[in-house]
Order: sequence, then C-alpha cells, then structure tokens
Amino acid sequence: MNRPGRLHPISIAIREIADIFGKMGFGIAYGPELEDDWHNFTALNVPEDHPARDMQDTFWIKDQPGEVLRTHATSVTMRKLEEMAKAGATEMRMINPGKVFRNEATDITHEAQFYQLDGFAVGPTGTVTLAHLKGTFDRFYREYFGPNTKIRFRPSFFGFTEPSVEIDVWFEVPGRKGQWLETAGAGMLHPNVIKNAGLDPEGVQGFAFGGGLERLIMIKYGIPDVRLFHSGDIRFVYAFDGKPV
Amino acid sequence: MKVSLKWLQTYFDAPLPSSETIVDAYTFHVFEIEESLGDMLDVKVLPNRAADCLSHRGLAKELAAILDRPLKNDPIRDPLPEFQKTEALTVGIEDPKKCLRYIGALVKGVKIGSSPAWLKEALESVGQRPINNVVDATNYVMLNIGQPLHAFDAGKLTQKDGRYAISVRAAKADEKFTALSGEEFALNPNILLITDANAGNAIGIAGIKGGKAAEITADTTDLVIESANFDGTTVRRGAQALKLFTEASIRFQNRPSSELAAYGMRDVLELIKKIAGGEVAGIVDKYPTHSASNQEVSASLIKMNGVLGSDFSKKEVGDVFKRLGLETVIAGDTFVITPPFERTDLIIPEDLAEEVGRIIGYDRVPVAELMAIVGIPDQARFRGIERIKDQLVEQGFTEVSTQSFVPTGDVLLANPLDKNKPALRTSLEDNLNDALARAKRYAPLVLAPNQKPKLFEVGTVFPKEREFVELRMTERVPELSDIAGISDNLSIAELEDYGKDYVPKQYKLGAYKSFSVYPFIVRDIALWAPIGTEAPFIERIIHANAGEFLVQLDQFDRFEKEGKVSLAFRLIFQSTERTLTDDEINGIMVQVSGVLAKTGYEVR
Repeated sequence: MNRPGRLHPISIAIREIADIFGKMGFGIAYGPELEDDWHNFTALNVPEDHPARDMQDTFWIKDQPGEVLRTHATSVTMRKLEEMAKAGATEMRMINPGKVFRNEATDITHEAQFYQLDGFAVGPTGTVTLAHLKGTFDRFYREYFGPNTKIRFRPSFFGFTEPSVEIDVWFEVPGRKGQWLETAGAGMLHPNVIKNAGLDPEGVQGFAFGGGLERLIMIKYGIPDVRLFHSGDIRFVYAFDGKPV
Repeated sequence: MKVSLKWLQTYFDAPLPSSETIVDAYTFHVFEIEESLGDMLDVKVLPNRAADCLSHRGLAKELAAILDRPLKNDPIRDPLPEFQKTEALTVGIEDPKKCLRYIGALVKGVKIGSSPAWLKEALESVGQRPINNVVDATNYVMLNIGQPLHAFDAGKLTQKDGRYAISVRAAKADEKFTALSGEEFALNPNILLITDANAGNAIGIAGIKGGKAAEITADTTDLVIESANFDGTTVRRGAQALKLFTEASIRFQNRPSSELAAYGMRDVLELIKKIAGGEVAGIVDKYPTHSASNQEVSASLIKMNGVLGSDFSKKEVGDVFKRLGLETVIAGDTFVITPPFERTDLIIPEDLAEEVGRIIGYDRVPVAELMAIVGIPDQARFRGIERIKDQLVEQGFTEVSTQSFVPTGDVLLANPLDKNKPALRTSLEDNLNDALARAKRYAPLVLAPNQKPKLFEVGTVFPKEREFVELRMTERVPELSDIAGISDNLSIAELEDYGKDYVPKQYKLGAYKSFSVYPFIVRDIALWAPIGTEAPFIERIIHANAGEFLVQLDQFDRFEKEGKVSLAFRLIFQSTERTLTDDEINGIMVQVSGVLAKTGYEVR
C-alpha cells in the first residue's frame, strides 16, 4: 500500500504558528524576495553608509543597484504599513513568514537562505506596547513549545525599532536540562519607520519582531543541522513520525 | 570590544562583583557578552552605542549605572587643560566635512622603548600586541576612552621654515600607500589621507591606518601626535574600498563626538610624558566643524510608560537618569534630558524609554494581552496555498524545499556566496528534477515498496520579467482540475476565495530521527504460509533475527493459491556508521530464512 504524501516541516510549522497568531488577531502577509533598498533598509531607518547595515550581510543584484535579496521579512512589514497609510487604517497585525537571504558562510546553524517568522502589530497609541509584545510571545511560545516555556527580553539594537530587544525562550526537552535560547529580535517600531510609511507616529505605535523559523523548528524537534531544510532531500521530510491532528 | 575586568576596576573604589554578576549586568541591561574568559569580556557593542561604548570608560559608565555605584572618576568629565599652542606645526584641512577636527601635537625628545609592565599587561589582557611605549600609549588611550590616536615620527617629516605641516586631503587617482604593515594599497579620490604637506606624500589613511613613511622606530625622538575626528561615511567607505577595517575605522564610522578628540590628546600626551619622556612643544587644534551638539530630549512619564506598557513611578524613572549621569530637569510630569556630548544616541523620547526599560530591567515590563480585533484576521491567501498543498499530499505528493541559488538564470548576484551558483532560479524545474532523481534513490527508505516518489515545491522564482511564486509538481495531477499542467503561477492565482474558509490540516510531528548517510541494501523475501497467517506475526520473526541494521520492513505482496497464502516482505539494511557489504547481509538473510523455514514456512 502506498504511503501518504508529506508536507515539509516548514509548512507544518507555519500552519501551527499561523493558527496561534490567528487567535491573537494576526493575518498573514507576503512580499517580494527581491526587494528595493527602500523597503529593506532605508525606510526601516537603516540609512545608506550606516554601520547598522553591517548587521545583515547583504546579497546585491548585478547591474541593478539598489536591489537586494531581502535580508529580513521586515520589508513586508514596511509594505503593509504603507498600505495602512494609503487606506487610512490605524490598526493591523500580520505575520510575514518567508524566505530571506544573508551572505554568510554556511554551517550547521547558518544558511545563506532561510525562513524568517517576521511580523508586527500596530494600533492607536497606547494600545500596542512592549508589554503586549511580551504577552504575544509569551503566549506564542507556550502554545508552540509547551506550557513550561518562559520568555525573557534582553536589550538590543535594530534601526527599525526603539526600544529594541532580543527574545529568549526557556525550553525544556524531557529528560534534559532546560536552557535559554535566543530566538528573535524585536522592539517597538521606530517613529521614523512609522513616518516613512506615511503614518502618524503621534497617532499609531506598535511592535515588530523577526527571527529564524528553522531555528524554532530545530529547537522543537531536535534537528541538528539547518542545511537539511532546503536540501530538497525527501529523507529529511520523512525524518519525523507525523500524524494529522 | 574586548574589556579587561582589572581595567574596569580602575574606575571604581570598591571591588567589583564577580565576573558572572558583571556578565549578567551587561547582558540584561545593555549588551550581549560574546565571550567571557578569565579577566576578559568580549562585549558586543551595537551600532547605536558604538560612539561611546567602544571604550573601557563607556563600559565602566554603563556598569556604574546598572550596579548603581558611582564612577571613581570620569576622564571625559574632568576639565581640559589649556594646551600650549605651537607655531612649529601647521595643519591644513581640505574638506571640513570630511575632517571635522584635527588636533596635532609636537612632542620632542622622547625615548622609544618598551612599555612598563602594567601597560603591556593591560593591552595583552584585551588581545592587543604591545609594540613600543609611544604606540602603546596611543592604543591604550583609544581603548580607554574611545578616541583613535596616531603618532608619527616627526624626524621622517619634512620641515620648511622650521615648521612641520600636516595636510588632510583626498587621495589622487593613481596614488599608492604603504601601510605600517608593509602592505601596499591603491587609493582613489574618495579616500582621505594624512599627508606631509611639505613633501606631499601620504603618511596615513585618515581614520583607518598609519603609514610606513612616518613609522615610529627605536631611533624616533620627535613626534607628531594626531587626535582627530574624521567623517564616519568617508572612513566607512574608505575601509570598505580597501577592505581594511581597523580599531580606528570601526570607531570613526560610528561618529564619535568631535569633542572627544581633546580628551584623547590630553590623555595621550600625559601618558607619553610619563613613560617615554620628552617635552610637548605645543598643539594645533583645527576645528572647522563641530559634530552636531546634542539637543535636549524630553519625554513625559506617560509617554515612556506608554511605550513600555509599564507602570514605573516618577521616582524610579528619575533614578535611572541619575544613575546614567544624564543632566535632567523635571518639569511636572516631563523629564528634560540634556545628553552629554558622547551620548549621540539619545535623540527621541523613545530613546529615553529604552534607557528606562533596560536599566530598571525588561523583566519588570509586564505581560499584556493584545485587545481582540474586530473581524477575522486575513489569512485567506495563505489558506488558499495550503489548501492546494493538502490536495497534493492527499494525492501522495511529498513537499520539498530547494535552494534559490542556481548556476544560470536571468537575475545574477553581484556578490554570490558560491561562485558556481551566482544566479537566482527562473523556475523550480531543475531543482525539482534533481530532488526527484535523489528521491527515487531514497524511495525504498521512506516510501512503500515499489511506490514511486511524487514531489512538489512552492517557491519564489525569478524570471527576467518579475518574480513570482511558483507551484511545481513532478507530474500532472488530474484531480487538481484548475491546474492543467505541472506548474502554476500562484502570484496571479485568485486564492483568497478558495482559501478563506478552508482550515489547513495540522500535523503533530515526533522528534527528528537522523538518517544515515551510508548506502542501504534492499532484500526481498517471499514465503508460503497457511491461510490465516497474519503478516505482523512473520514480521516479528524477521525483526528478531535480522539484526540491528534492519531499518525498514514492509510487506508488499500477498496472494492466496491452493489453500496457502504467499506473503512477500522487503527488508532494508543500513548502518549509521559504515557501508554494509553484500556478504554480511547475505549472511543475515540466510539466518532469517533459516528461522522462518524452521518455524514451518516455505521460503520461496
């Protein structure tokens, strides 16, 4: 008897995550992988010649100056904020799962192309704060990783958020010692980003976040090498016992 | 930035707490620690604080605020001396936008030698190599307060009318430069040089690297010391063009305040006098462009709590600014901060909210739930795509994910990581064919015996016209009536209506089980058994006798004839440590057949 087909673990994870975020009011947004400088950097308050650009090693496109392979899916956030401004909206929540690219040597924890779980929530001033970011991730990780999960924030820096934090998750594998793992960068959207989108920073505020999706899946299922994900190898897809929920 | 705890201790009267406590203090209140090794901490100073915290002073100041204990002394709050002027050195600046400030000092009669033990130890403790007392002094002051400095051998410069002349100018198109290391660089007019104006030659690349031409050697007696401020963009582009990132360039590209240069000069002259002797003939301070002076920033308590979602009191917030040493005026509910010159990062109210959040601690930010939204979140397009995937899985397809980089395509990378794959895929076809070829080889490991792998992928492709999301299958699917061929452009497909009410199937996966990279061996066994014999019973016998290398066992054939049932099984053998040989597997098969025969089955 033939075996049933299989979804890639990334699809399975995005479905689970989309469901959790959906319950918190988040939609799903898409945007181009080949991005312009504006949406990937400049509008996100990472100006040309700023050392912050070194934080993300970028692939540039030959004979198309100003075009990049997006280094983060925060470019999708920028596009959605622009849409909000055009529509006169003051509230939106989205996750933007998608492939991003970094020009970095690859090893078991680094791939030059990987998925990011990026997203944002904005609303009228006062309704979306850093405390709501904490609440959102606290719930997301408890539902995705299990009820014993905890989160913590550490200070960080990204051009597009102020304040900026790193989000760590406390993860326990049964029978092993738990540990804190760095999972995402986040923060409150910088007023310049809100302004660049054409929104009023006095009227709306919100948070944004982004982190490697493969990393979450690696933590959850104990996968040792990130390079397995996009290898096109069906042995990886079948390396889990899977059953429909 | 590597810092030494012993060095940091010089900023405090009372002994500092343990290294672990300091690591936690930094980690949870300002910077990540990349490495902690004995007395040394490698602190990851991010771009917003690189102007003041690429220094022991800056990191001591942070520690003082976090641990709430005062700095013993703050070198950049101490008043500056009146420097003596000199006519014996002139400084010319061609473009005041590129060189904001240049302080030059002429020092005579130094004795070059090795540095005192404390200085050598200090440098070595943060991974720097001691060179000689003068060079070490410049490095020490840079690492201490963050101002890059350079010392030139005045004896190697040309004097005219009893004067040395420094000129800061753009490089000429064909100009070459030999660095201290001996390495030669071809320059371009975007690169800023420090030159001996009387001779015309370059003695340094501004803000990046000193030159061989005026190197300090054992015979040096007179020095020209430079404490300058070069434009961050100019230095950054120069360092990128020359692929030469140095301690100096990393600091200048982050635009430290031009005020800092005077403190650097004060400290380095003092130190050189102490450890190398000599007399300061005087200084020249060309200061055509002041860095924008920091403006007042104000934020109300409501604003800061409104960003953080916190409920911090006026007293707590006031205490944060006091600990950080920020000049604060409180007007009603509003804090008005005048940042000191080195804190170039405090510009908007949100910056102050960050100071409050991180110093009090983000653990004090409460957990709040977002308000429910009106309506249903928009996941329709996503669900439409997932609905197609679910249909394909139902038809026995396996989803794979492949690389976007390929050998040829319409869109090429300017800086590919893999020179053999400089292009973006124009279609999923080649990758999917390659995946299918491999899937056929691995099929016995993961699929049922004789099951043919069928694959699909959903991914972005980049033909010349415009990128789109392609769905591609390795064969046509008659059940998918909307898709005539084996691929579809999902970017133009109307998926919203198709997806909006669909609930994608959820799966629960078990832990990852690694697969072996070694080849596997397939063996079939068929036997006659009495009618009514259940396959699992025979499978148990096979499992018990086939040994540890049996990784998969499937029944793949069954028919009845003349009162007997024929059952066929496929066995797959594989080791996680080596390539198995046919001989050893033949041996195992003989063993399995023998036991089955003994149990009463007729092995065919």
